[in-house]
This record gives sequence, C-alpha cells and structure tokens, in this order.
Amino acid sequence: MSLQIWIDGLFAGSVFAIIALSMTIVYQPTRIMNFAQGEGFILGAALGYQLVGVWKWPLIQSLVVLVIAAALMGFIMERMVMLPVQLSGSKFAWIIATLAAAMIFQSAFNIKYVNVTFSYFDLIEKDISIFGAKLSVQKLLVILMMIIVFIANDQFLKRTLWGRSIRAIAHNPDTSTILGIPTKPVIKLAFITGTIVIALVGFLASPVIIVAPAAGLFFTIQGFTAAIIGGVGSPKGAVVGGLMIGILDSVVRSWLGGTWGLFSTFFVLAVILILKPNGFFGKRVEGR
Amino acid sequence: MISTFKGLNRVLITGSLLAIALLYFFPILIKSSNNPSFYLQVVSVAVCSAILTISLNICMGYGGLLSLMHTGMQMVGGYAVAILAVKQGWNGWLALVASAVIGAIFAILVILISLRATYLYFGMITLAVNLIAMEAVRHGGELTGGYNGLFGVFAPGIPSGMMSAEGFYRVMITILILAYVVQRNLIFSGFGRNTMALRESSETATALGISPNMHRVKVFSVSGALAGLAGGLLSIQIGYAVADIGDLNNGLIFFVGLFLGGVGTLAGPVLGVALVAVIDFTIRGTGQYRTLVLGSILLLTMIILPRGIVGTYRASRYGSPRSREVMPGEADNYHLDIAVKNVTKGEVLLEAKDVVKHFGGVHAVDGISVQFKAGEVHGIIGPNGSGKSTLISALTRYHELTSGSVTLLGVEADKKPFKVARDGVTRVFQIPHLFERVSVLDNVLTGMYRRDKYSIFDAIFRTPRYLKANSRSVAEAKALLSLAGMLGMEELAAGSISHGQKRLLEVIRAVATEPKILILDEPATGLTQDEMHSLTSLIRTLAAGGMCVVLIEHNVAFLMDLADIVTVIQSGKVIAEGTPQAVQKDERVLEAYLGNTDFSKELA
Repeated sequence: MSLQIWIDGLFAGSVFAIIALSMTIVYQPTRIMNFAQGEGFILGAALGYQLVGVWKWPLIQSLVVLVIAAALMGFIMERMVMLPVQLSGSKFAWIIATLAAAMIFQSAFNIKYVNVTFSYFDLIEKDISIFGAKLSVQKLLVILMMIIVFIANDQFLKRTLWGRSIRAIAHNPDTSTILGIPTKPVIKLAFITGTIVIALVGFLASPVIIVAPAAGLFFTIQGFTAAIIGGVGSPKGAVVGGLMIGILDSVVRSWLGGTWGLFSTFFVLAVILILKPNGFFGKRVEGR
Repeated sequence: MISTFKGLNRVLITGSLLAIALLYFFPILIKSSNNPSFYLQVVSVAVCSAILTISLNICMGYGGLLSLMHTGMQMVGGYAVAILAVKQGWNGWLALVASAVIGAIFAILVILISLRATYLYFGMITLAVNLIAMEAVRHGGELTGGYNGLFGVFAPGIPSGMMSAEGFYRVMITILILAYVVQRNLIFSGFGRNTMALRESSETATALGISPNMHRVKVFSVSGALAGLAGGLLSIQIGYAVADIGDLNNGLIFFVGLFLGGVGTLAGPVLGVALVAVIDFTIRGTGQYRTLVLGSILLLTMIILPRGIVGTYRASRYGSPRSREVMPGEADNYHLDIAVKNVTKGEVLLEAKDVVKHFGGVHAVDGISVQFKAGEVHGIIGPNGSGKSTLISALTRYHELTSGSVTLLGVEADKKPFKVARDGVTRVFQIPHLFERVSVLDNVLTGMYRRDKYSIFDAIFRTPRYLKANSRSVAEAKALLSLAGMLGMEELAAGSISHGQKRLLEVIRAVATEPKILILDEPATGLTQDEMHSLTSLIRTLAAGGMCVVLIEHNVAFLMDLADIVTVIQSGKVIAEGTPQAVQKDERVLEAYLGNTDFSKELA
C-alpha cells in the first residue's frame, strides 16, 4: 500500500481528531455532546472562502475576524443550548437543544450560500515530498495544529486554575459550585474555545477537502465517532479515535471505493461499542 | 373543585371527539377549495408524522431510550412497502403489515447489539445506524433504486385495485387512532409501568424483578413496529420511497412535535404534531427559512414551556391528579391474603456461607455466614461502615462475591440481581427509590407485575384476560395501600407525597412483589411516630404470614422491639447472633463496642 494513502489518512484523521477535541472541550464541563459543533467547522470554511477567496483579505486580518466570529458563535451557541437545558427538566433536553441549534445554523449557512462549496486557494501552495509521497504544507499545518491543540489543552487542564476548575466541574458540577468555582463562566469559555478550535480547522482544511454549507452535521458525526471510539470526554481518546477513523477511511477507500470508507468507520464504531462500551480511554458515563 | 375538574375533562373529551370527526370529514370540507388534493396531502403527511411521533414517545418519553434512528426506521418501513408491493407484487395491505414487522426486526437488531451501551452511547449508536442504513439504501442497486429511490407506490384497494386518496386518508386516520389506543393501552398496562420503572431507575426496576435488557428490547421493538408502519404509510401517501426520508433533518419535525406537545404524555405527540403541521403550513411559502423557523420554535418551546403543552397542563392546578375522599368502610372491600405460599415457619429460606466481598484492599465483608428463616424478623446491626449494606448487596447479587456461597431455598442463587428478585428476595434501598413521576397506585402495581399473566397483545387489545388480571391487581394494590393507611392517594404522583409516606409506599411496593424475604435497609429513618407505628404493625403482619423480614437499622429501640433474632456485624465479621435479649447482654458485643460509648449505652 502506498505511503500516500497513509499520509492522506493522517491528514483526514487530524481533522477528525481536532473536531473530536473541540467536542471534548465542550463536553468536559457540560457533559453535552454538542450536535451544533460541526457548524463551527462550516463557519471557518465559509469565512475562509469569503474573506480569503472572494474578498482577498490578507491572512492575519482574516484570522482575527475568524477568531472573533467563532467566539461570537460559541457565545450564542452556549445560550441556545444551555438555556433550554437548564430550564427543561428533561433528560433529553441537551440533545434536542443542540440539534435545534445545529439546524438553525445550518439553514442560516444554506440561506447565505446557495450552490457553493467552500474552497479557496491553498494558503501556502507548496508540497513537501516524503519518499515519493506528497504532503502539501496546508495538510501539514492541520496535522501540526492537531498536535498543538492536544498539548495546549492537556497543559491547560493540568496546569492552570481554570483547567483544574473544568476538571472539577466535569466530576461534579454541584460540588464545584459549592466550592466557589464559577461554573457558568467556565461553561461559556468552553463553548467559545471549542468553537474557535473547530472554526480554525475548518478554515485550514476547507481548501483541501470539499465542504458544503449543509455539511456541518456530517463533521459533527465524524467527530462523535472519533470521540466515542476513543472514549467520550478523553482528549487522548479524541486524538486516537480521530486518527483511527481517518486512516481507516483512507485505506478502505483506496481499497474498496468511496462509500465503503464511511461504512467501515461506522462498522468499527459499532464493533468497538459492543466490545468496549466506553471506548478506549473513556470512563463509564451516563451523560447528562 | 372536583366538579370543575370533571367539567374540564368533559370539555377535553368532547373536543377530541370533535377533532376526530373533523379529520374524518376533512376531505368533504375541502372539496370546494381550489386545491383539495394539496390540502389532503398536507394533512396526510401530518398524520404519518403523528404516528411516528407516538412511536418516538413510547421509546424516548416513556422508555427513556434516546433514539436518533426513527427517521431511519421510517425509511426502512417505506422501502419495505415499496419493494414488496411494487417490485414483488405483494398485496398492499400485506406489505403494510410487513413494514411494521420489518421495522420491529430492524429495531430489535439494533438494540441487541447495543444492550451494553449506556444511554448516551445508545443514542450515538442509533445515529450511526441511521447513517449506515441511508448509505446502504443509496447503494442498494436494483433493489432500492439507488439515489433515485423507488417510485409508483400506490394505495391498495379493497379487496384489490387502487383506493382513492380520500379512502386511504380515512384509513390513515383510523390507523392513527389505533396507534394512539395502542400507546394508551400499553402505558396503562403492566408493560407500560415496567417501561416507566426502567426509565426512572434501572436499579430499582431490577430490584423488583424486571429484566432491564429484555424489557428494553420489547419497548424498542414496539416503537420500531410503529415507526415502520408510519414509513409504510408515508411511502404510499407520497407515492415513493427515497433514502432522504431517513435524513435526521427530517426528524426535526418529530422532535419539535414531541417537545411542543409534551414528552412522556399520551396526547402530547398528536397535539404537538398537529400544531407543528399548522405552523409548517403557515410558513410554507418561506422555503429555505422553514428549518430556521422550526428550529427556533423548538428552542423557544424548551425555554418557555419546558414540559410541553400537555405536560404543563398535567402539572397545573386543573390537570394534576389529587387525593380523593375515602368512603367510610371502603377499606373493607379489599381483602388480601398476605400469607407466603409454600413455606413453613422456621424453614431456612436463604443461607449465606463465608461470604467475602473485598473492594481492592478494603475488606467490606470478611467471611459472614447467616441464615434467614421464614416467619422471623431478622435484625442486622453494626456501626457505620461495618459492612451491613455491602452484605445485602452481595446476598442479592448487586455485588459479585469475592468468595463464599449464597443458597436460596436450597439452590445456589442466580447470579443476576433481577433473577434473585424473581426468586423471592426483594430489597428496599436506604434512600427512597420510588418512581417519582408515576402515580402511587402504579408504583405498587409495578411491584405486582410478576403476577400478571397477560402478554403485550392482551394489553394492547385489552382482552378479557388482561381486564380480569388488571382489576384483580388494582384491588390488591388498594388493599396493600389501605394496610399502610394510604388509601385515597392512589392517583397522586409518588414524588409529591411526604418522606414518610414514600418510605411506606416503597415497603408496600416491595411487598407487592410477593417476596419470601423482604430486606429493608434503614426503613425507620425520618419517619414520624405514627408512620413508625404503621411500619411496625405492617412488619409484624408480614412476618406472621411467613415472610422473613430482614431489618438493617440504626434505631436500636425500634429493632430490638421487632426482631426475633439479631446479627451484630463489625468490620465485616459477625461478632454476635441471637435473640435481642441475649445480644444485648453478650460480652463480645459490649466489649467490641467499648470504645463506641454511644452505641454500647444504647445496647445496654
């Protein structure tokens, strides 16, 4: 099997891993698997297309606008999801609320962009050659971003006061509140950082992969799959799960053809859930 | 007050009947409009959605199973009809029945592979299955017609040929009413009570002898059958089956309907879908803004009306049940034979030998042997952390034993906790574990379900067998309630009664399972003097009938007064056993508790 397939898989896996990481960031203090998370990816892709592709803005300026827009989206998303969750006593409130938020963002993208796929030129049009296989700098950037996000998240959780608060809230929100940890701001911050992370990967990856305005839910589901295989709530699991499905998809795709890649991903998901119901690194969770 | 309540109820019933009549005569009413077939189509699709939402309600609202594959089930049902009726030439009615069966089979397959998954993961599995099913259909080649789907599905006639649109519309209305009745009959039966018991607490349901896995399979398959049928009807109505029907985006309307109407209420799904259909019809011109509007309505509903319309009504002054007045002498109507069958007084029911349970390095139970005999009240005391509760969990198989054996009526006890419960050992937990959102009467009836010898089908069709069994169970449940002085409170939600009443209700519910051994973990905690008296006399009555009542208590006075035999445990070991008098004088007990002055004073 050629090295190219593995490199492509590594790239796709990094995309899924970052999506899963951003979900983990939201999941830890809220215990919510956010169905609207993938819409952040679309935001990144759409802004990349609009700012860099259409309006030809310089990179730095575009990135600043992107981060501000993503933070705003995260803030709005937090209100859209947490308000119903806090007010409704239903065990299913989180899923319905995040699903509704996803639908709202998705239709907003659909209204703005009709018959458009978000791809603009590569930021850096250059290929690196590794033993005959090609790796574009763009793809390399995504892989590097995955590593940076993982390490930064890990260090943040372990070293900083906020990180420790998040871990405390993940264990028990009520006790954390009693101990004086500002639960609500921590949750807001989680939504905002999660959205910024996923929007950035959307921005970086959209020139390479095809992103349609309505594809948010697809990326959400890929992220879920990665997170579940690795174990929900575990950053390590998110990375392992993401890389696994990315590489698997790429290998199976080249071997049996396009749709089988998707099949194999979900098949592996089903098998892992049967054998290891809590994923590779997950603890037994009951969700919200 | 009661009269207004009844009056309002009458208005609601009349309103529902009027709505049904209106739906039936709808085709005639719109005949003179400029586009009758369009209006008929709108209402027909809403009817399909209502059936599907009822299915979703059974699964999510009552069963607590998070399903994201209902659109997929609908798609599968649609394809079942399209393939069987169009390609295989089956009779259309038969194909419709097949769509329900295939829906059920699909659901069973999915839940069988995901029984070990917790609820969040179960939701994710259903999501993945939904995507796989859609992909499979899109690449099904000849059989499914690929991306284009299958066309030319039409309404079957009677006995053959093709039915008019109005005719089939009436068939669909009838099926919707039937689906509602199926839902109602199931929820009011033992099946529904077990379903809600599982939703509230899988642990407690297990303690009552309900097999969680088996029951989940049943709930999901019923839901799958209804969803498959809804899909079959939809494909006939719109004339084709296509993979996009399975798209989760299409599921939004069911979720909006369910939440707007009220999750876990009988009328909620129908009312909610009706409202959403009206809203959807009003905004039909907005095209791409439709999802935006529907999504916003859903979020607003959750914020403003978190329980939905029906749920809010039920929680209100008008819609919530209240305690009724008990007629003097009513209690005499209910007789109850409390005697335990097939045991003789003094017979050893449960024998534990050298039971050891270690949690890592913690020796919680360290070699305890104990016998529970019929007709005795067996007290277990010991300081906090001495291993009393762990011992009970080990004996009832909630914990796996590190070593030792438990025999029940001379046979090795089953390894599954719900089987132990079925074999006659029922435990009542330390913290109240009532099904809070379920009525007092239904809580007791849930305990009785092992006696109900009727099937799901008896319950759905309310056969004489079901009616007879049900009225007998209700009478027995009322007899038990009157034993605890709780007659008249049957319809109240269990969450709304006082703490002491909850404890008593829990004991009653446990008694309703007809146990041979009843294990009560600190039942007297937080009871008033009156409630304590009720409990004492109840326990005496039960023991006199041959039951073994095991009492774990801190309240030494209460225990010493009731118990025939007392086992004292410390640090996971038995340090004394005998009559209350003997134990109180036992040198080892006093010696062991010398450091613990409060406890030794209480004992002395």
